Amino acid sequence: MIEKSNILPQEKEIVLEIKNLNKSFADNHVLKNFNMKLYKGENLVIMGKSGSGKSVMIKCLVGLIQADSGIISVMHKDITTLNQTALDILRSDIGFLFQGSALYDSMTVRENLEFPLRRHSSRFEKNMDTNTLVMEALENVGLAHAVDLMPAELSGGMQRRVALARTLILQPKIILYDEPTSGLDPITAKEIIILMQDIQKKYNTSSLIITHDVDCARAISDRMVLLIDGTNYAEGTYDTLSASTDPKVKAFFKH
Amino acid sequence: MSGISNIKSHIQTFLKEIGELSYFTARFFKETFRKPFEFKEFLRQCYSMGNRSLVLVGITGFIIGLVLTLQTRPTLMEFGAVSWMPSMVGISLIREIGPMITALVCAGRIGSGIGAELGSMRVTEQIDAMEVSGTNPFKYLVVTRVLATTFMIPLLVIIGDAIGLYGSYLVEHLKGDVSFQLYFNQVFESLEFGDIIPATIKSFFFGLAIGLVGCFKGYYCGKGTAGVGRAANSAVVFTSLLLFIIDFIAVFAADIFYDL
Amino acid sequence: MNANSQKIRLGLFVIIGTLLFVLGIYLIGQKQNMFKRTFMISAEFQNVNGLQKGNNVRYSGINIGTVRAIEMVNDSIVKVEMNIQENIVKHIRKNAVATIGSDGLVGNMIINILPRDGMAGVIENGDMIKSFSKVEPDDLLSNLSVTIKNTEILTEDLLKITNAINNGQGTLATVLNDTVMSSDLKQTIKTLKEVSVNASNTLLEFNGLVKSIKTDDASILGLLLNDTVSGNKLKMILQTIETSSVKMENSVEKINTIIENVNTSDGAFNYVIKDTSLVNSLKSTLKNVNEGTDKFNQNMEALKHNFLTRGYFRKLNKEERKAKEN
Repeated sequence: MIEKSNILPQEKEIVLEIKNLNKSFADNHVLKNFNMKLYKGENLVIMGKSGSGKSVMIKCLVGLIQADSGIISVMHKDITTLNQTALDILRSDIGFLFQGSALYDSMTVRENLEFPLRRHSSRFEKNMDTNTLVMEALENVGLAHAVDLMPAELSGGMQRRVALARTLILQPKIILYDEPTSGLDPITAKEIIILMQDIQKKYNTSSLIITHDVDCARAISDRMVLLIDGTNYAEGTYDTLSASTDPKVKAFFKH
Repeated sequence: MSGISNIKSHIQTFLKEIGELSYFTARFFKETFRKPFEFKEFLRQCYSMGNRSLVLVGITGFIIGLVLTLQTRPTLMEFGAVSWMPSMVGISLIREIGPMITALVCAGRIGSGIGAELGSMRVTEQIDAMEVSGTNPFKYLVVTRVLATTFMIPLLVIIGDAIGLYGSYLVEHLKGDVSFQLYFNQVFESLEFGDIIPATIKSFFFGLAIGLVGCFKGYYCGKGTAGVGRAANSAVVFTSLLLFIIDFIAVFAADIFYDL
Repeated sequence: MNANSQKIRLGLFVIIGTLLFVLGIYLIGQKQNMFKRTFMISAEFQNVNGLQKGNNVRYSGINIGTVRAIEMVNDSIVKVEMNIQENIVKHIRKNAVATIGSDGLVGNMIINILPRDGMAGVIENGDMIKSFSKVEPDDLLSNLSVTIKNTEILTEDLLKITNAINNGQGTLATVLNDTVMSSDLKQTIKTLKEVSVNASNTLLEFNGLVKSIKTDDASILGLLLNDTVSGNKLKMILQTIETSSVKMENSVEKINTIIENVNTSDGAFNYVIKDTSLVNSLKSTLKNVNEGTDKFNQNMEALKHNFLTRGYFRKLNKEERKAKEN
């Protein structure tokens, strides 16, 4: 049903790499020497239990959380060494879909979508109409009719799709999905997954998906990394991992 | 033993809070003078804080003016000094009661509002989303809100004072047949720059405190809805406390400057 | 659309708030004459009775300015600088006098600038005008009137006695022999002395007060006390009272010595009686006393009709009448 990439990852350009990432909160050592690579055009799923540090890891990637140690290179730039301006420029190449959509509830859908454009308008041609961009992004997620509604007036699935549209509006090269299907019913979750695949095809983005949802992982992953005990415990395709005999790995795929 | 360590940890928490708030304040001043300035958001906040608090401040001010006059009247009558009412009400309203009541009401309305709003934005990762999308959320959310309270509170205080004086005038007019002109003539006769200027400066600091504490509590809100509730609640409590401290310092400072 | 109306309402709110603030500032500033062109004049006082910076300055009862600065010049002189509205300056002459008063029973202190008769140039910026420090004239006046009343009663007594002597209803000898009469006389003379000393002290004080405004400044006192009677008249009356009381005192002193002589020296009595010169002297002294008290009475009468004591005497009359009716 889902077309898997046939090209071997190793031959592709690395767009995102984490080496020996460590992060602890007080006495809680969340990430211990975590390593990870994301290749261009790939859908990488990182699976882990709740509280295993997935969200912390992904936030370290965009500089929302300062890592204690380790190298995080995004598009060959180490984000831990960048100043604010350079970080902001780099961030415009990264789309981030937050767990709870994180739509600005005091703004309409249109304003939500316009918001990222405020600072990164230089990426587009000067005569580019923001309205066109907004409508285009909304059409991608099939919500052009909701442009003047407030986020609170939308259902959870619609909110997620608007958030996706907002993530897409800057045409990022890498998209980070933090639990894209969490809190959604299976049908809506499926819609979102299909949307993610469409986008990936359309813009040839590289995606890093964090989830604990096995269905989601199966549907979308080219490759998976299992985050267990703060480190990259196992790596491989869905099929190889689900066939694993390691009890810790097996625990993920049991229903 | 546990009691002592408990106290120690309380003190540590308190000091940490003060330290963080100081850092937050310093960052606020640093970011305020850095481009770009989010003017549109600033205006939006001014509107939502200034205009939307107007009715509340107006009603409180009016009632305070009314009550102050009604309560003082019998005492002043005993001394045959009812004609002193405008001066007395004017000075007490403008110097102390007006700024303080307005600030407290606004701490309840605006401070808790900011705390809850930023808190829920933090909890639902909206602040993170802003940061990721290249907008400095500190500038966009905190600087605009703190500046808005800093400029709106003095205006609200002035309007509250005016409405309070009008309330007081109404009582005097109904009970003592004092004309509008006479009443306000006497009010301004007794007022001096030494009354109105420190009160206004004080109001700016009140506004700053309300905005800063509200933003601080919201911006570093704890997890979940409980965190939002705590942020809103502690914003009001801490702001009110801070208002009294600022008031004390302001009166103290004004006293010293007045003597000079 | 919505954002626009928000902006409009915010603008309205800001403008109203700012306007109220500016209005407040203006109203206070107007009171302190901050936004009008002002003149600065000054006056020196011995005592400013708690006057403060920013207190009002009045001219003929109108607020025309405020106190700008108060400073000690030396150990007994306080210089007060005042800001005066420029448009009122043309009405103030150089000979105007500044006094310190209070605005109502418990009100603020104020400076009253009082115009005076006589020609003088219009005041100029930086001028120093004369001042007058009120030394509780009310106290002084009530004190004086009590003294005067006492004197009146005593002189009446004395008059009876001296008349008796003069009319030869018995000679001085008989008068003096009559122990009752004698002790009476002594007592009266003694009291009279005390009273006249008292009176002259009060008068001295009063005179000093008048003098302090210099000879031609008497009108100020009259003005201060809200009376139309010219101050010069008052001053004359006061002077005469003073001189008469001094004369009286002298005469009383003489009588005293004589009586003292009579009483102390044995046998001296006859001697005294025979000594015609002494008798003459005594006679003339008593005559003096008589004249003195007469004049005193006349002046008292004048005072009665005068401003200071008019109220007092009226009250006295009333009380007397009341007492009679009862």
